[in-house]
Amino acid sequence: MIELALTLPLADGTLEVEATLPYATAVMGASGAGKTSLLEAMAGLRRRTRGRVLVDGEALLDDVRGVRLPPQRRRVGYVPQDARLFPHLSVRENVLFGARAPDARVHAMLEVLELTRLLYRRPATLSGGERQRVALARALATDPRLLLLDEPLAGLDVALRDRVLPYLLRLRAEWDVPTLYVTHQLGEAIVLAESVLVLDRGRVARQVPPLALLGADGTLADASHDLENFLPGRVRTHDEAGGVTRVALDGGGEMTVPLEDARAPGARVALVVRAEDVLVSTAAPQGLSARNVFAARVTACARAGADVTLRCSLDGGTAMLVRLTPSAVQALGIENGSRVWLAVKSHSIRVT
Amino acid sequence: MPSGEDLEVVLLTLRVAVVATALLVVPGVLAGLALARYRGPGRGVFETVLSLPLVLPPTAIGIVLLESLSPRRSFGAWLAAHGVEVVFTWKGAVLASMAMALPLLVRSARTAFEEVDPRLVGVARTLGCGPVRAFLRVTLPLARRGILAGIVLAFSRALGEFGATVMVAGSIPGRTRTLALAIFQQHQVGHDAEAFRLVGITVLLAFVALWVAERVGRTR
Repeated sequence: MIELALTLPLADGTLEVEATLPYATAVMGASGAGKTSLLEAMAGLRRRTRGRVLVDGEALLDDVRGVRLPPQRRRVGYVPQDARLFPHLSVRENVLFGARAPDARVHAMLEVLELTRLLYRRPATLSGGERQRVALARALATDPRLLLLDEPLAGLDVALRDRVLPYLLRLRAEWDVPTLYVTHQLGEAIVLAESVLVLDRGRVARQVPPLALLGADGTLADASHDLENFLPGRVRTHDEAGGVTRVALDGGGEMTVPLEDARAPGARVALVVRAEDVLVSTAAPQGLSARNVFAARVTACARAGADVTLRCSLDGGTAMLVRLTPSAVQALGIENGSRVWLAVKSHSIRVT
Repeated sequence: MPSGEDLEVVLLTLRVAVVATALLVVPGVLAGLALARYRGPGRGVFETVLSLPLVLPPTAIGIVLLESLSPRRSFGAWLAAHGVEVVFTWKGAVLASMAMALPLLVRSARTAFEEVDPRLVGVARTLGCGPVRAFLRVTLPLARRGILAGIVLAFSRALGEFGATVMVAGSIPGRTRTLALAIFQQHQVGHDAEAFRLVGITVLLAFVALWVAERVGRTR
């Protein structure tokens, strides 16, 4: 748990944050809201920060008790925007720059992040997604007690984002380090975080579970962006004759996707489903080609831009976002609490 | 054909330039760092004083040095009491060269430091480096090319220093007469052929210095 009560004078105003954050928190807000400043203050890179920063009860900063750890003693893994790799060092030298974790653990992490083949490359020769992974590895190698990730997926195109996101999910599952992610994408926040801290001009506008941002009076932080469902899970079986792979979702339930036999059964994957690609029916559909049909209940129904976004809870427990036109919603008479069936074609699921 | 006397002049010139540059590196780089980072009071004065040798005639710098080093002044007397004679020795030539070359090194170093992304230094701090280690492992290597260029500039300046040197060290054959002074001297006495021979040697030296600098700058 992270306890924050800090103030920091900014060029235009003051950053003032008082909050208690769970292990995985997304930080959202318009640019200039103070997201990066908050991370830098927590990392100890802003000298004028006052107040208190506690991680699992340990003080990184506590003016009342006269505690002010310098950045090198905070054990914070900071991944700034655009990775900021050291250009004069190889990937390996970057990762080992502040390595403190046991060798075996660093090695395992390089495997998970698929960096072992890049170790002797220079940052200038890496792609955006590779750089982000190296920056993550560099931060993790210090065995941090807090991870601060500033838009780890920004600036990556959809395909790249799909490559990096599963790593973040794995980190969350395997490293168990309290993490703050700055993001502009609600979809990312929904997958990665338990809680969203929304900043507005240096203040905490609100702190809510990510899905709650959808319900609130039709305002969706990024209504203009593609809304995607990210569903983490594990490969269960391959059905080569049927040309499909079955994936058990972490949130409960199973999905059928086009054959992915490169992934061994048991391998971790994340399924990406665009909210527009989900069909909704108010009766149990029959004779449908879609391989994935789930009984679900609508738990939120909100106007977002020109569309309506539904938050549905599958009977297995997995949450799914669906985007419909207002006319479809009206014709089907869908409202909060409605019983629905969701159908997803195997081919509209991306496996990452 | 170069004579033994020429060789003596070349060796003296190299000795003066090398010693002057070597003594300048640490203070020059630190002064460049201070100008790049320090934003407090007194910065403007510091910057101006460091740039004076660029705008003043070298002879003006020379006479100030000569006066403050003279045994009649406290600093000069203190040096003399410790057995250090500067005025009209090769050490005086070194000091004069240092004064004239300093701003060139400081300016290059300052620009090089200003171009280092401070966020990289911040990342290094979060990765466990104190300020000094972050400087040695990130800032300095990234500023390396600019600093090397500044060292080459300072060395070249020291190699050709004339005005301040002639004031502080004089032009004593075999003791303080460097290439620049010798060229002037030969021309004064009408030995233009000898003067041009020395010019040729100077050009050669400059080429070698630049070539070495280029090589050093390219390797990691």
